[in-house]
Amino acid sequence: MGTMDASEVSIEVRDLFYTYPGSEAPAVRGVDLVLEPGKTCALLGRNGSGKSTLARCLNGLLLPGAGSVTACGLDTADPSSAIEVSRRVAMVFQNPDTQIVGSTVEEEVAFGPENLGLPQPEIRSRVDEALELVGITDLLKRQPLRLSQGQKQMVAIAGAIAMKPHFLVSDESTSMLDHAARLRILELFEKLRAGGMGIVHVTHFLEEATLADSVVVLEQGAIAARGTPRETLGDPEKVRSLGLDPLAVTVVAYELEKLGHAVTGDVLTVKELLSWLYA
Amino acid sequence: MALRLRLEDVSFAYPLGGRDEAAALSGVSMSVEPGDVLCLAGPNGSGKSTLAQVCTGLLPPASGALYYGERRIEGRSALLQFRRSAVLLFQNPEDQLFADTVAKDIAFGPRNHGLRGDELTRRVRDSATLVGLPLDELEGRSPFSLSGGEQRRAALAGVLALEPEVLVLDEPFIGLDYEGRTGLAEALLRYRDEREASIVIVTHDLSNAWSLSTRFGLIADGKLLSLQTRDEMLAADADLTSLGMQLPQWGALARELVRAGISVADPADPRSLAGAMAKRKEAAGAGD
Repeated sequence: MGTMDASEVSIEVRDLFYTYPGSEAPAVRGVDLVLEPGKTCALLGRNGSGKSTLARCLNGLLLPGAGSVTACGLDTADPSSAIEVSRRVAMVFQNPDTQIVGSTVEEEVAFGPENLGLPQPEIRSRVDEALELVGITDLLKRQPLRLSQGQKQMVAIAGAIAMKPHFLVSDESTSMLDHAARLRILELFEKLRAGGMGIVHVTHFLEEATLADSVVVLEQGAIAARGTPRETLGDPEKVRSLGLDPLAVTVVAYELEKLGHAVTGDVLTVKELLSWLYA
Repeated sequence: MALRLRLEDVSFAYPLGGRDEAAALSGVSMSVEPGDVLCLAGPNGSGKSTLAQVCTGLLPPASGALYYGERRIEGRSALLQFRRSAVLLFQNPEDQLFADTVAKDIAFGPRNHGLRGDELTRRVRDSATLVGLPLDELEGRSPFSLSGGEQRRAALAGVLALEPEVLVLDEPFIGLDYEGRTGLAEALLRYRDEREASIVIVTHDLSNAWSLSTRFGLIADGKLLSLQTRDEMLAADADLTSLGMQLPQWGALARELVRAGISVADPADPRSLAGAMAKRKEAAGAGD
């Protein structure tokens, strides 16, 4: 019964539709998707394509209008599993200021585990573990609202991790950060993924998506492209048609092809394009 | 007639009031020419938004001097006068849309400047056209019915209707998708060309301003570290990483080519990059 085991640890989205109240057109239409533990999936698409809506369906913040979302074996539409679903699939959002409630980092990270009704020593050890993992133990007694945007986002992620989730859904958590802070978040995601967590990363940055195991591109609420970063992001014309900013090296490779130089294999990084040049 | 904006050894500090803020700007000297697109880039908290406000007369320098053309901007009335020539588009300007139609929203600024009648109508129509939101279709629509990218451009139109000679934008591309960013960049260049205006883009992310800007100023800890052309940026090998920034992929590729002694005519143009690489490849092939 291998498939049953897999569904216990993955998120399965089946023919999902979601329409916002008062709206006519569905924001998500007919999405089929399986998200696996220990893998990173980058979710791309132009503004209004349904990325955030789909992300919010993954942990039961939004419930399916039709179809289903099964997270770690739990139907998100079943009210009796709502709390457990939100525990297993944690979310971090774009603006950390809107997610912070505690007056110290310690309180902030303890907020989730406290709401689970865990005993005090367990809360304590979860806070320590989460801060350790995120690499911000030195911030324990600091006031979250006085931290930099990047540090605040790290605190928000620590809060999510303290729930011991199986999946972390990042809804553009890097988009307001500068490059250095973004890199730290991406390194952290990679560390969590290597530890077995499934990562879903909604982003505008194609360079971030090249690091993912798989890429899903939404267009008007439906999946318009999916595959490895190479399969989905290699062709600049296709990428543009999906409303995305193609990677510079793919555009240059495309121009090279017009000049009679077929760059072997789809290149996504400067390094790959240069190794073709010097080969 | 567009004029040159010049800052001479400008410093600015926010009142401390119990918060641990340092001086926001110290000893900044720079100038912006008509037709310039100057990118001021720095990490979060570097003082670049403060600089944007000084460049538009919203914050008077604590020390140093601000010149517009030959005239030093000093004292309240000069500052108020200057603010008619230099305008700031704040971050997320669409949050400030409020009127019940797009046309009324665009008209709000120039109306406050005392414009009425045909001149007001012309400015609203012209600026809407410049940003690619033709009023024939949009005149009576609510700004809130527009997409995010269109809302941003409607907010820009409201500022362009003031016909500023210096237009400063704080993180204008943040939160926009590819089409939104491209549409905004095109609108900015159209305005620059039409009015010979100076444009200053303040950002923490070089990628969106890379192909658009004529010069780049790097800011950290309230100081302007350097002011360079794109070619100079590539050649100087600016240490962006320590500033928490990076060259966009275009720049990273161009820099590698420059380092390898491969000359690129226009490092922001993909054809130019491809041409230079093709030449190198062919030369290497011929040498085998």
